[in-house]
Amino acid sequence: MIPINHIIGLGLIIFVIGLFGVLFRKNLMIILMAVELMLNGVNIILAGIGYHFKSPIGSIFAVFVIMIAVAEAAVGFALALSYFRHKSTYDLDEISELKG
Amino acid sequence: MILNAIFYFFAALSIICGIMVILQKNVMHSVLYLAFTVLAIAGVFFTVQAEFLGAVQILVYAGGIVVLYLFVIIIVNLSDILKEKRKFFPKLFIIGISIVFLLEAAYLILKNQFPVKTGVESGLDIKTFADVLLSKYIIPFEIASILLLAVLIGAIIIAKRKLLHDSD
Repeated sequence: MIPINHIIGLGLIIFVIGLFGVLFRKNLMIILMAVELMLNGVNIILAGIGYHFKSPIGSIFAVFVIMIAVAEAAVGFALALSYFRHKSTYDLDEISELKG
Repeated sequence: MILNAIFYFFAALSIICGIMVILQKNVMHSVLYLAFTVLAIAGVFFTVQAEFLGAVQILVYAGGIVVLYLFVIIIVNLSDILKEKRKFFPKLFIIGISIVFLLEAAYLILKNQFPVKTGVESGLDIKTFADVLLSKYIIPFEIASILLLAVLIGAIIIAKRKLLHDSD
């Protein structure tokens, strides 16, 4: 039996790595990847809680989180592509105006 | 004991590759490290007896999302990506806020003992999972399918080069 504290700690570390990437990097692609890392950390915590409580509900919530992650990735890529056609850059400092 | 060893191996692998994802200069290297991270996290799911979740992770993340990243990066031109620079004070602020968040959450987790409650749905096998997902959580399941349809249509419309009512 793996200790629950270690599983949640692993998920937390992955989440903080993703948070650091979102705040620190300026490339839009790497920021989207860091968001995926954050969602993966949440999934680890949910699966670990389900393992600890011997309940399938943790895995069920993690499946919903994966669905949301796929939706976010698809819409994020569409927005990134359409913005790249306007500005020809992925730097977030250039993407600072609302008018397309 | 061997299960714990496998868990710690995959945990270390996912942490190292996750750090490499956000530290790489080249976007393509980041995507490859993201694939490693996702597969290591699938290994973690297998060790905590979430087999369905691990299979979905390999199918959807490693087979779908990472390939989507590769396609988007291949489509655009990589040569005109600028160098990133941040000033010292925002850098310090970002590192500080990450560390403060990590310490606070680690304190709360180490303080809590996570007592096991009884009386919830028990069992970690696929059959219990499917029974609960398709009976108690059937309405969120169907709403998620509607969400995926809306995302499909919306992504096509946003990424289209010209709108439908344009002349050419």
